[in-house]
Amino acid sequence: MFVKDYMTRHPVMVEPTMSVVEAQGIMAETKVRHLPVTGSGKRLAGLVTRERMRIPPTELASLNVWEITRLLSNLAVKDVMVKAEDVITIEPGATLEDAAQVMVENKIGCLPVLEEGVVVGIITEIDLMVQLGDLLGGRVTGVRVTVRVPDRIGEFAKITSAIASQGWGIYASGSVPTPKRPGYWDCVVKVQDVPKDELVAVLEKIEGHELIDVREC
Amino acid sequence: MITNPVNHAPVLKVESAAISYETRYGDVEAVRDVSFEVQRAETFGVVGESGCGKSTVAFGIVDFLGPNGKIVGGSVKFQGQELVGRTQAELRRLRGDQISMVYQDPMQALNPSVTIGDQLAEVLTVHRGISKSEAWDKSIRMLERVYMPDATNVMNRYPHQISGGQQQRVVIAMALLNNPALLIMDEPTTALDVTVEAVVLDLIEDLKRDFDTAIVYITHDLGVVARVCNYVGVMYAGEMVERGSVEAIYENPLHPYTQGLMRCVPKLGTTKEGSILYPIRGRVPAPKDRPKGACIFAPRCDYATDRCYNEHPLLREIELAHSARCFYSEQIDAGAWRPPEGLVPDLAPATEEASREPIIRVEGLKTYYEQESKSLLSLVGAGEKLYVKAVDDVSLEVPPGKTLGIVGESGCGKSTLAKTIIGLESPTAGDAKFLGFDVTSPVSERDEKLIQELQMVFQNPDSTMNPSYTVGQQIGRPLRRFGTVPSDKAREEVVRLLNAVRLDGSYYDRLPRQLSGGEKQRVGIARAFASQPDLVLCDEPVSALDVSVQAAVLNLLLELQRQHGLTMMFIAHDLSVVRFFSDYVAVMYLGHIVEFGPAEAIYAPPYHPYTEALLSAVPIPDPRAEQKHIRLSGTVPSALNPPSGCVFHTRCPRRDVLPDGGEICQVEVPSWRYNTEEHRIFCHIPLEELRKMEAVVTTTAGEGGD
Repeated sequence: MFVKDYMTRHPVMVEPTMSVVEAQGIMAETKVRHLPVTGSGKRLAGLVTRERMRIPPTELASLNVWEITRLLSNLAVKDVMVKAEDVITIEPGATLEDAAQVMVENKIGCLPVLEEGVVVGIITEIDLMVQLGDLLGGRVTGVRVTVRVPDRIGEFAKITSAIASQGWGIYASGSVPTPKRPGYWDCVVKVQDVPKDELVAVLEKIEGHELIDVREC
Repeated sequence: MITNPVNHAPVLKVESAAISYETRYGDVEAVRDVSFEVQRAETFGVVGESGCGKSTVAFGIVDFLGPNGKIVGGSVKFQGQELVGRTQAELRRLRGDQISMVYQDPMQALNPSVTIGDQLAEVLTVHRGISKSEAWDKSIRMLERVYMPDATNVMNRYPHQISGGQQQRVVIAMALLNNPALLIMDEPTTALDVTVEAVVLDLIEDLKRDFDTAIVYITHDLGVVARVCNYVGVMYAGEMVERGSVEAIYENPLHPYTQGLMRCVPKLGTTKEGSILYPIRGRVPAPKDRPKGACIFAPRCDYATDRCYNEHPLLREIELAHSARCFYSEQIDAGAWRPPEGLVPDLAPATEEASREPIIRVEGLKTYYEQESKSLLSLVGAGEKLYVKAVDDVSLEVPPGKTLGIVGESGCGKSTLAKTIIGLESPTAGDAKFLGFDVTSPVSERDEKLIQELQMVFQNPDSTMNPSYTVGQQIGRPLRRFGTVPSDKAREEVVRLLNAVRLDGSYYDRLPRQLSGGEKQRVGIARAFASQPDLVLCDEPVSALDVSVQAAVLNLLLELQRQHGLTMMFIAHDLSVVRFFSDYVAVMYLGHIVEFGPAEAIYAPPYHPYTEALLSAVPIPDPRAEQKHIRLSGTVPSALNPPSGCVFHTRCPRRDVLPDGGEICQVEVPSWRYNTEEHRIFCHIPLEELRKMEAVVTTTAGEGGD
């Protein structure tokens, strides 16, 4: 799971000299929230977001309609963008968790993906959420079970081998340390084309495991 | 497979675009009300006959319309940005960075005096500002990406030193160097051989997947569309008449024009009956003659009513994401369509010929062209002479009243063979007898009677007609020369011939420039038939014509053949056309015939490995057809220095079945293997092995059914 496989290639981009009004129009037209600003050769010059193009409310209050219009029409993308040196970016070869980490640490919603200074794509929180959903099989139907297992090597394998021994296949899985319960992990598996009761029966037989949740979805 | 659920806006969105050209008759609307969208990693095919405005749409997107063209309405949005009304400077930036184009003729996109490496690297040094050496390395990597053999060395060559297919790969590599969001391809494979075309089409598929590029693909070839496109827009006379997914359009065409197009494309069916062509009557109106306030297709439509002549239909959605510009799409059942009277020629075979004695018999025919040697010795006549072996040891025979189709890639010697028989080239060795007469002498020394019996229809009617002679004079000339009819009856006879090729007497006084391509070719056919010949050689007579016209011309040729009991030799590169047309087929490769036999036998196993590869490369106008994936590597070797042993061994994909990886193929010339008395294959591989091959093409649909 690398950034290059999940980023949006050929993102919508704008030029530094474009007026802010036009850039807002492009955002509305294409329904994107972040626009990398590029100069010649698709080199990153900056980044604009919706917030960036808003007039601060304090300033807004002191202006009349005509002044707002004039202010906006004279404003170019380069006046409001985050300059390239301040834009946090990522490489196409980075892992998705790297990207997530960078976004979380900086509390930002998107990362332009750069290859030798050239914008080759963009990855946003939405792309990461899609992958989180897919990781747990969110878009397929099946039986989803949550099992709480002790933090020991080989516990997850017990689940997978129990399911495999019945000839069923695991479509998606994920596990995280149980929140507020040190020493335990919560494992989520999604199994397709299986009767719920039979799956529960098989998993209940495993010693030391606790079935937290079973649902068909 | 799960697709990305994030709803992206289309890369390109064209809305009700209208494009006009300024002419001295005022503005002519070339394209009107065209709308479509292209997403990332999707190909949108724009298909239609010539003069329908396909290329105008492509040029309109990037405003390459020339000084007299302009977008007069609608909008073209690229990545949300309106392109209409931009300055040329802004567009140039966009074109360089995010939009690339690939044109039909690669040679016109490449500078002949600059090496390929310099041309490729320039794209990066100019647009990206990176160093020359880095750009050079990147260019090599991109050439390798488009499967260019020996990429490092190709960089130092000039465009004329590589083949057409390789040139087109260079152009594609150049277009992709900047990783464009949108790629516009205007007939990129039309000038290429079928085997090369297949490789380029595979490449386009791969690139679309790997680079997520949105592609607008313009073509006239319904087979190509079925192979590479996800969505299709069918253009007719400047309007988009149908739009939908490729499966929907092919399985359930909703517009009568699309239905008509499907019926006039030769299909690679297994039976001859399954491949009857039904041309669309009439012709595409010129832009200034298009009906206003009416359906533009009405004059040619079998379903037209008064409403169609008085109201202009809009493109409306009939099924989910499948639209058509027709009032009656819901009612029309294409399956219930029956050809109107007189549209399809009577194809019942002529009365069984009395003798099976072949009308023409060629044995061991060789036509070599002497090549200037560069050595000094040759100046004094002592150098070793080099020969281009254009036709090498060809033997064939055609029974009277039958048609022999000759197929092969360009440069395989098809045309030279025809020219040798007709007397435009002199054979180097071998024997050719026509009705028992020797025809190895050049045409200037032949008896007039013989010339009269042997006529030819040429590929390009433009270059074979005198532009300042009227149609009547052109057709009348052979009549007078051969004295076929008394001179006072000549005009009558010309009119009769014109009628026979479905042109009326008013064409008698027209000049070639006043005719359309299809009409010119009909005049060419009438001229060939004027002397009432016994054998007509047709050298690619339909390859320059649009599909609907092609169907009409092919049917006409067939009909004339039946009426006169003619024998024909029909040269073509299109295997589906040959399938439809021929009784016998000869497959040529590098001057040799590699397979010869009745048409049915050629299109079913056992195949010669070359025939198999040709068949698997033919684009089939049916997205569901299954076709074996065999691609020939490399290009046709030079006829100046053909490979030893079997000429095909350098590219043969089947050599491995022989012991020692087919060593014998390099050393020994194969001998003919007779599958039946009439069907023979020129290959080392034993027939039992060849018979094990599966059929190349399997269509799931019923034969000949739409």
